[in-house]
Amino acid sequence: MKRPVAVVGVGQTHHGSRRADLSIPGLVREAVDRALADAGLEHKDIDAVVIGKAPDQLEGVMQPEQFLAGALGAHLKPLVRVHTAGSVGASTALTAVTHVASGLFDRVLTVAWEKQSEGNAMWALSPNMPFTPPLVAGAGGFFAPYCRAWITRTGCPPHIGPVVAANARDNATRNEYAHLREPMTVDDVMQSPVLWDPIRYLETCPSSDGAVAMIIANEEQAKKGPRRPAWVKSGASYAEAMWVPGRDQVNPRAGRMCAQAVYDKAGIKNPWKEIQTAEMYVPFAWFEPMWLENLGFCDVGEGWKIVDRGEQKFGAHLPVNPSGGVLCTNPIGASGMLRLGEAALQVMGRAGEHQVGGVKNALGHAYGGGAQYFAMWLVSNEL
Amino acid sequence: MSVLRNIAVVGFSHAPIVARDEHRMATETLYPEVRRALAECRVERDAIDYQIAGSTDYMDGRPFGFVAALDVMGSWPARQDLHLEMDAAFGAYYAWIKMQAGEIDTAIVCGYGKTSEGEPERVLNLSLDPYYQAPLGLTPTATAALQASAYMARTGATDGDLAAVAARNRTAGARNPATQVREAASAEQLAATPWAVEPLRRGYLPPIGESGACLVLAAEGKAEKMCDRPAWIQGVDQRIELQTLGARDISRSAGAGLAAKKALAMAGVAGAAQVDVIETSASTPAEELIVLEELGLDRNPEGPAINPSGGPLCGHPLLVTGLIRLGEAFRQLSGRAATHAVPNARRAIVHATQGHCLQQNLFFVLGGERRWT
Repeated sequence: MKRPVAVVGVGQTHHGSRRADLSIPGLVREAVDRALADAGLEHKDIDAVVIGKAPDQLEGVMQPEQFLAGALGAHLKPLVRVHTAGSVGASTALTAVTHVASGLFDRVLTVAWEKQSEGNAMWALSPNMPFTPPLVAGAGGFFAPYCRAWITRTGCPPHIGPVVAANARDNATRNEYAHLREPMTVDDVMQSPVLWDPIRYLETCPSSDGAVAMIIANEEQAKKGPRRPAWVKSGASYAEAMWVPGRDQVNPRAGRMCAQAVYDKAGIKNPWKEIQTAEMYVPFAWFEPMWLENLGFCDVGEGWKIVDRGEQKFGAHLPVNPSGGVLCTNPIGASGMLRLGEAALQVMGRAGEHQVGGVKNALGHAYGGGAQYFAMWLVSNEL
Repeated sequence: MSVLRNIAVVGFSHAPIVARDEHRMATETLYPEVRRALAECRVERDAIDYQIAGSTDYMDGRPFGFVAALDVMGSWPARQDLHLEMDAAFGAYYAWIKMQAGEIDTAIVCGYGKTSEGEPERVLNLSLDPYYQAPLGLTPTATAALQASAYMARTGATDGDLAAVAARNRTAGARNPATQVREAASAEQLAATPWAVEPLRRGYLPPIGESGACLVLAAEGKAEKMCDRPAWIQGVDQRIELQTLGARDISRSAGAGLAAKKALAMAGVAGAAQVDVIETSASTPAEELIVLEELGLDRNPEGPAINPSGGPLCGHPLLVTGLIRLGEAFRQLSGRAATHAVPNARRAIVHATQGHCLQQNLFFVLGGERRWT
């Protein structure tokens, strides 16, 4: 990056299955107002707005940032709308980072949101591809074979998914913004019905209403305070083709390349040793050990053993998704930015009850499409 | 203005704009344009650092339509990538920012869409405020007509003025083999066409079509190797306004005015009258007159050639239109405009827009010379 970039404010809504108390602009505004207040800034201080969300079909409004321009305080400012499928929240924040890194903008507001109660996510997430029989099975039906293939490949035992799901829920009890906060046991998950083999009901993310916003700023603004910033050491967005013979959907090359680019730029040689917590995009429980491997925290086949040993739990070696993650809160378009925002809060030391101790470096990660889109950043408490 | 990196358009290709391509999906339309644009620069895909695309799921009629485009952009192995739910010209804007950040040196910018598979008049209604404006049934033609009325009421422009603008575009478009409507029409002929929505006549409306386009951007040091006559980006700016039609003066476009002023200032150009070519994405004659006014120009300005490609009134592939304007300006400045070349074109203004009534506007100033030394 041409010049240092930092997160100086983070704000998120209280997420839920139906925020019937708020319109779409109201939902977005709840996050934006909290982020601005967090940064001690006002709309007039903002140079540009970068916004993202998943398919517009989820709410039934085409390019909704056009009608949200007023609520975003974007009138007569530059605005960019990003859409990279499930990874969009993360790629949106990275787009804002690049705006500031360019030297052309000093303070950029970035926002990601979804109000899934306005529509039907199963319908909106069931694309009708040319020459392909429609699954009409949403994301779960799409990704279940990926999980099954990974289980077959690694010999992962059947209790790992339920352990991940129960741990995520335990984490969410410490996150006041999370959507699902009721504790559940491994046995509860085991007893829940299989929706798409091997994915059980309680191993599945919810459908949420929610938004998250961040203020991304230059070094001068970051050093002004009022709070300790999270420095963006590196970030990258990679994507790969769908129809390539030999493409590995289970351990995608795009994910490995993206992670490597992020580690290289941040000077991370051994992520397992040098990163203290990770917020990764886990919409179905099995993806947590899958991404531990893909992100280079361990070798292939070792991911489920980390879970089995409990090393990814809160208070253990590498707490994964201390916020509860996507399994407890999933406003799709916002989910990726929530990962990056939670990573930022961890290095700022302001994650509240789910603050991990001694965090210097944190990874925020999201993926999307048919495990084709990857976007991540590495944030640090030091410039 | 601080010293920025010199970035140039070095290649461009777009599929001829047609009302409906019966035989190809959007990605099949795009693929040969990617290949042609790269071939024009004499490079393979591996030489390009970044890819960015613009399209919308709503025109595609399905979620994640853009994912399929990854394959035809050459995304193997994985590429640094982004997709904007915007006119693809905004992809060029962001790629330029990314180059200013020093993160990349080269990029392809792609735009595509199959407008013929949907009903744009109905689909674009859904981009209005879903609580107060969309339920009124406003179509893009209706909102454009409201804007035309407001403009005519404020300025005294007449039906004949609109007809003259439309005729100028149609005359130019007749020389562009890649646009959709290639029959010249006189102002008299167009003024005799029936009302679509008063005060807009059928002859004043753009033919909605489909295309696929790929533009190549490169930073100084690489640009010269990829193109004999790069078109350097000398200035750029974009602004959005409130959508609410009743909350802004739609007889003008404050955002267009501000963005144009900033882009010209960055380029160090005193006024729009000093450029040789203006390619605008205004999709009705009234919109075009508003954009010209915001650029500080008269209705029939001396000097710049306006839309020598024929502009959107001869071919309007939604969300690709803006990128084609940028490509057309590159062709003019690099001696590639052939049949519709403007003699001795040295500098151009490019305008892209999206949203109802010119809600969001982007301007580039391009020139044959580097801006920063």
